[in-house]
Amino acid sequence: MKGLLTNNFYAVRSSAKVFSVFMLALGAFVTVVVSQQLLLFCMLLGINGFSINAIATMGKDYTSKWGKYKLTSPVKRADIVKSYFISQLIWLLAGIVFSGFVMSASWLLHGCPFDRSIDALLVFSTGISISLFAGAIFFPLFYLGGEERNGAFLVISLLFAIGIVMGITTAVNFVFGSHMTTWQIISGAMIVFVCSLLTFALSYSLTVIVFKKKEY
Amino acid sequence: MENILELQQVCKTFPKTNFALDKVSFSIPYGSIMGFVGENGAGKTTTIGCILNTVLKDSGTVKLFGKEMSDTDTELREKIGVVYDGDNFPAHWTAEQLSHVMQGLYTKWDNTLFQKYLADLRLRPNQKIKHYSRGMTMKLAVAAALSHHPQLLILDEATSGLDPVMRDDMLDLFLDFVQEEDHSILFSSHITTDLEKIADYITFIHNGKLILTATKNELMYNFAVMRCKESQFLELDPNDILAYRKRDFQIDVLVSDGKVAERKYRNAVIDHVSIEEIMLLLVKGERV
Repeated sequence: MKGLLTNNFYAVRSSAKVFSVFMLALGAFVTVVVSQQLLLFCMLLGINGFSINAIATMGKDYTSKWGKYKLTSPVKRADIVKSYFISQLIWLLAGIVFSGFVMSASWLLHGCPFDRSIDALLVFSTGISISLFAGAIFFPLFYLGGEERNGAFLVISLLFAIGIVMGITTAVNFVFGSHMTTWQIISGAMIVFVCSLLTFALSYSLTVIVFKKKEY
Repeated sequence: MENILELQQVCKTFPKTNFALDKVSFSIPYGSIMGFVGENGAGKTTTIGCILNTVLKDSGTVKLFGKEMSDTDTELREKIGVVYDGDNFPAHWTAEQLSHVMQGLYTKWDNTLFQKYLADLRLRPNQKIKHYSRGMTMKLAVAAALSHHPQLLILDEATSGLDPVMRDDMLDLFLDFVQEEDHSILFSSHITTDLEKIADYITFIHNGKLILTATKNELMYNFAVMRCKESQFLELDPNDILAYRKRDFQIDVLVSDGKVAERKYRNAVIDHVSIEEIMLLLVKGERV
């Protein structure tokens, strides 16, 4: 597993460096400027950007024979899939830390940047769920539809993930009504998060099944 | 003799391309090199895929070290080194990074040995693979395949596209590798001169079917080609003919024992035959 994770890290490293520089600049700007919209955008981009970047680089394994070569090494196919899921979670965590840092800095400098402090939880829940749903849709599609369609599948996965999160949020709002209590807001955020987490876990099993039938 | 690799009746069909591996069977004894010869598209890479489970066979058995290898048999794959034709590793890596990844994949990865190969083969550890020449890329792949102390090397067209000097360097490495009596190599290639230099056994494959397996010495010293006129050809015993090919004014006939043929057919011209000519006769000629 260590070798697979190192492999995934090398694949994402160069693009992550570029993205980090961009995000640091954006984060610094957002921290100084008081704009709720800009802060929201920066946080969601931070949470999703690093992890989406990580799954986007999966295709790099297949531009050479490395994807096939890995199957001849002493690793199980399930471990290869697991390594991609773990890598996404690691980069998602990096995005959360980054966004948390930007939000905290803004909060320290200018006070609560949202209408209610509980909204911060909603931003994280929404961002994390979009990332998890996107990964859950992308991984099986990647193996099912062919590595060369990597880019198209990534866009489709991201759009579907946003759609699903919006759909669940609308359903929650419909059930709880327009004037939600703090606990209802927390429950709503948890519902979205748990749905994405379950889908992510189910997607792992599905991706393993698909990948076990894949020939190179 | 015990075999390091055994294939029995391996079949694989690709419905989209209509290509099929048809009951492929051969074995490699410990301490030997098997040359696996065939034209492009003959089924060499598919056979190797079935051995390594990168292609899922329809039927038949493949035994590595006496055992059928499943996806979970990672300890068996520790003992196998693989070199594919072309880019084996991502182009954005350096040899140093490759070593880090391999260290995490193989329990017996020997970084000291790998660094020694890099130095011997004049490969820069910190240069990106995308800046390597094709020859350097193949050298790196061979170095990586040897650096986890495998017992079986599987080489899929590992010397194609290399100049004669580099090919010779590679062949020396392979010969060194089989000095250990429990080491073996399956060497798929269509460069028959390479196989003449190092192989102990040669297996010919054509259109997904094995057409001949023999020791190299048998092929080079016993096999022969008879240059016959039409009238001489008609008098030949069909049991003596492995394959024949009509030329402008003669018919070339491949026989398995040149000396026997010489005694039996005194007027025929009998020549030694190279592996390449055997391949051409078997592939392009007709078989009785």
